Amino acid sequence: MAELPERAGDPMPVDPPTLAVEDLTAGYGGVIALRGVSLSVGQGAITAVLGANGAGKTTLLRAISGLIRARRGAVRLDGADVTRRRPDDLARAGIAHVPEGQGVITELTVEENLRLGALCPSGRTSRADRTAALAQAYEQFPALGARRRKPAATLSGGERQMLVITRALLARPRLLLLDEPSLGLAPKIIDQVMTMIAGLRQSSGLTILLVEQNARSALTIADQGIVLGQGKVVATADAATLASDTGLLRHYLGL
Amino acid sequence: MQEFLEFTLGGISFGMIYAAIGLSLVLIWRGTRILNYAQGAMAMFTTYIALIIINHTGNYWAGFVVALAAGLVLGAVCERVVRPAEGKPPLNAVIVTIGLLILLEGLAGMIYGGQFRSFPTAFSITGLHIGGTALGIAWNDVFVAGAVLAAALALAALFRYTRVGLRMRATAFSSGVASLLGVRVGRMLTLGWALAGLIGALAGVLVTPSTFLYPNSMDSIFVLGFTAAVIGGLDSPVGAVVGGLILGILLNYVSGYLGSDLVPIFGLAALVVVLMLRPSGLFGAAATRQV
Repeated sequence: MAELPERAGDPMPVDPPTLAVEDLTAGYGGVIALRGVSLSVGQGAITAVLGANGAGKTTLLRAISGLIRARRGAVRLDGADVTRRRPDDLARAGIAHVPEGQGVITELTVEENLRLGALCPSGRTSRADRTAALAQAYEQFPALGARRRKPAATLSGGERQMLVITRALLARPRLLLLDEPSLGLAPKIIDQVMTMIAGLRQSSGLTILLVEQNARSALTIADQGIVLGQGKVVATADAATLASDTGLLRHYLGL
Repeated sequence: MQEFLEFTLGGISFGMIYAAIGLSLVLIWRGTRILNYAQGAMAMFTTYIALIIINHTGNYWAGFVVALAAGLVLGAVCERVVRPAEGKPPLNAVIVTIGLLILLEGLAGMIYGGQFRSFPTAFSITGLHIGGTALGIAWNDVFVAGAVLAAALALAALFRYTRVGLRMRATAFSSGVASLLGVRVGRMLTLGWALAGLIGALAGVLVTPSTFLYPNSMDSIFVLGFTAAVIGGLDSPVGAVVGGLILGILLNYVSGYLGSDLVPIFGLAALVVVLMLRPSGLFGAAATRQV
């Protein structure tokens, strides 16, 4: 059973963490991909989740957002138990999950993709709110504004990544789960995407869980890092400490 | 020339009925990747309900409206029945929807009996003329085509301009992503089936005056509606309507020039030819293959 040494014996904090994962076990069919993972992320922090292929990073995000069911353990959002709730329910409760790769609905236009995000907190936004939020998004990313009526299939890889992250933000989440946002992007674009993610925390106080293959660039923007190995937490530390621990990174990430 | 005009115009009205059945199949296929073999039987069942209401009240429109509402409800109920087969190997859904077909036709036979019943039209079936030229169609044919066209346009507007329409499309294209954006995917699928039930019920009420009503009365219409949907690509609502029109007009030429006995065989031949030459349909290739 993996434990977070920092938390052992801590008194219960007054404010519950934005995300608390307790002894979470999950998998697919007969395969257990996540074994008793515990972690805690405070409000406004970026936590990088690192690990080799098959370490359980994507499974962790999928179990938090409800895409797969937890077999054991609990997920708490702001202290409330949200384990085993449906993904759409969790999305409306404030968990935005940007899945790896195929998050863009290519048959819909850019604007329709974004509207789906803005419609997510249903009942909590007015039409004027949504229009204003969309206008703001276009101002921030003119490339999206210029193609708003075009099918999202026409966007480049970097633009798609901006689209899905912007769409997730329009849902006004409390917790943003990003799975491999740099996957398949050119190095220059990766820097842009990372800068954008770092900017999110500063501007909105959003709590972010960032799964990355690209450990170095993830650790430059993260506050803390969690290293998974074979479905378990093998290290938790602040980002600077992890980045300087070359032995650990080499062992678990092959860097 | 005179005959050609008559056959063409007459074919449009039949074609719009195939289009309606095709449209209802497309609605379900897009959302759930299930071909609903029970679609015709559902339409037959709601048409019986319409006939009872019409006989009881003496008002055609009361029966018409109740049939559409019953189609909506029956569609939603059938989705709940089929739901365990959603996302499973295709054969599961084939078996469940064929089971529904047999169940509905059996129920209709038990409740209403097997005899042929005539069903009234909404408007006159006296042939229309312009000057001295017979058009080969009556006001009722104009109504049939207009009603299906109106329903198709209303659906298009629903999908294009409303929030629920956007959510339904998102579910159809990518249900996993839709659920991550807070869309209640199950509810959207139920709604898709309900709308399909409604469009099917419309087709049933519109076509039955020319076929009589009996438990199997929609079987051949279902095959032609399926062909219309396949011509259009199964994924495209516009394609289903265009496919229905093409099929309706072609089959009316066959019926007019070669004899009405040949219509069923030509309908099946059209299906086979489309599946051989262009299995993705006229409108299917561009929109469906990318994910």
